[in-house]
Amino acid sequence: MRILVVEDEAKTAKFLQKGLGEAGFVVDVAGDGLDGLHLAQELEFDLVILDVMLPGLDGWQVLSRLREEGRRALVLFLTARDAVHERVRGFDLGADDYLVKPFAFSELLARVRSLLRRGPLREQEKFRLADLEIDLLRHRATRAGQRLELTSKEFLLLSLLARRSGEVLSRTLIAEAVWDMNFDSDTNVVDVNVRRLRSKVDDPFPLKLIHTVRGAGYVLESD
Amino acid sequence: MVFFATASLYLVLVSELQKSTDLFLADKVNVLRTMLRERPDDWDALREEVELESAARRYEQFYICLLDERNKPLLMTPGMAEQLDLPQFASRTQNHPDRAIGMTGTLGRAFRVTSTSAPVGSQAGRTYAIQVAIDVSQKAALLARYRFWFWVILLATFAILPLFGYRIARHGIRPVEEMATTARHISSTNLQERILPEGYPFELASLASTFNQMLDRLEESFERISRFSADIAHDLRTPVNNIRGEAEVALARARSADEYRDVIESCLEEAVRLSDLIGDLLFLARAESPLANLRREPVDVGELLGGVREYYEASAADGGVSLTTAVADEPVIAELDRTLLQRAVGNLVSNALAHTPPGGAVVLGMGVDSGVDYSDRDLSNPESSSICIEVSDTGVGIPAESLPRVFDRFFRVDSSRAQASGGTGLGLAIVQSIMLLHGGTIEISSQPGQGTRVTLRMPAVSTPSCAR
Repeated sequence: MRILVVEDEAKTAKFLQKGLGEAGFVVDVAGDGLDGLHLAQELEFDLVILDVMLPGLDGWQVLSRLREEGRRALVLFLTARDAVHERVRGFDLGADDYLVKPFAFSELLARVRSLLRRGPLREQEKFRLADLEIDLLRHRATRAGQRLELTSKEFLLLSLLARRSGEVLSRTLIAEAVWDMNFDSDTNVVDVNVRRLRSKVDDPFPLKLIHTVRGAGYVLESD
Repeated sequence: MVFFATASLYLVLVSELQKSTDLFLADKVNVLRTMLRERPDDWDALREEVELESAARRYEQFYICLLDERNKPLLMTPGMAEQLDLPQFASRTQNHPDRAIGMTGTLGRAFRVTSTSAPVGSQAGRTYAIQVAIDVSQKAALLARYRFWFWVILLATFAILPLFGYRIARHGIRPVEEMATTARHISSTNLQERILPEGYPFELASLASTFNQMLDRLEESFERISRFSADIAHDLRTPVNNIRGEAEVALARARSADEYRDVIESCLEEAVRLSDLIGDLLFLARAESPLANLRREPVDVGELLGGVREYYEASAADGGVSLTTAVADEPVIAELDRTLLQRAVGNLVSNALAHTPPGGAVVLGMGVDSGVDYSDRDLSNPESSSICIEVSDTGVGIPAESLPRVFDRFFRVDSSRAQASGGTGLGLAIVQSIMLLHGGTIEISSQPGQGTRVTLRMPAVSTPSCAR
């Protein structure tokens, strides 16, 4: 899948290109609004990541020109100004999603994947990773055949990590998905809960499945 | 004013003088007429009346002339012919019989004159004409002097009054001018200047003290802002300094991949800390803007507290603290912003847990006050009630002197301790602004060593205009 990043801040453009490239996307970069518009007109992109504050044409202008020409590429815009009216304006112009700077790259990746509908979302009833088995329907988890005694929140947390295994989940995202806490809360709380989950899922077993990614969050994988 | 008063006085004087003169003339005419009718042949008496009595007067001299049917003078006050043009006299007074009129004499003197016909004797047929003139030049001079002084006073008034008024106004305005001078001197660097309210009239003293109070508040706000700026600089500098230093040291020589990874991870942690801080500051700035709007939805308050308790349950258990909710049996539903309220309660619980030693307890309580705090609204209306949420702990408490400042941004009761716990010091400020957005209040009470209790109180429904 091909992604166009229109971003004038060179470092941001560079890490976006690198990170998205390593996540398996083909990434082109434009340094200002005009270049971005030309590239988007000439080539077919599945997704355009558009900074709002750009030299030449700003993000809004690029977006409205693209939509006027009937380009249906998905657009995710990045803004440093988190005002409600800015968001509304973006959606009015036909944007599909937005992120406020500073953002976590893992968060951006999650949004990109969900926009392109190719995230590792597994809606199956059973999940298996190494010797961990989760029965999502019957709310049961076992490791090496041993039943894990989990509270309902712990089970929710484990199944979240499992459904998106291999993906780094930020503490904010976890708090939102498991406890419905929709704000950047005291993220220590997530750490405590993951530690408790680990004591049941990982501690008794030699193979560790839940990994901490410092500064980013948690990931479930057997490396 | 002065003009009208002086002018009307003058007019009254003119008419009174004229009236007295005319009465005198009428009196004289009457005397002569009576004499002619009763004793027409007593020429001695007539001559005495006409020639002597008048001639004896020095002041307001009058002249009388008695004429027969053919207009031939029979008797005349001596000197009358020199003073008055007699033919003109006759022709002028002919048109106004029995009435006094003004006339200027041949020597330029002012006269009031009258003429009348009088029957002589008891039988009809013979009539004489009586001409009487009185010299009113003294009265005219008096009036002229009066007019002169009238104009002098008037001009003087016009010249002096504005000057006088200006002086008075200047005197009255001087305190205001002093205040203005003080106000001009005041800038953000010398907000401590004040107006001394002594020696001013009551109204101005009240203005001065109001002005001073405003300065007090401004000074406090400025102090708060400068403290805030210093704090914000410190809190931003620390993570930036860590990132910079760690990266520099790491690059100073070749290191193993693990060492690099460690440094990068540490930098990422600092960056997250910075992002969180910026997020909190932006939240506070947005909450202050008048455009800030709430996404109100029906919220079951008890359920919300239960959710927060669940979220913090593991942390509480880790710290050996019991975390419980005391919630009413029937659900309490209110129109609130769920996310913001979660955040407010979450911040309070997080604070409570951080300051409660093992073995302690944190209780989340709630209640409904029916209209007590909103007595201006309709009491029978169930929507006038307010929701109150209480977070109490058995923790270390807050010293009394710190209580008024706990809602200040970056204020920490124990700065060294809080730094280690990683809080931004914005938690309570955020709770307070969330309450303000909901039109509610926040109260805190604390007993050092016993615990702290924070009470949030907000109307169950927003103001009617918002609720619709």
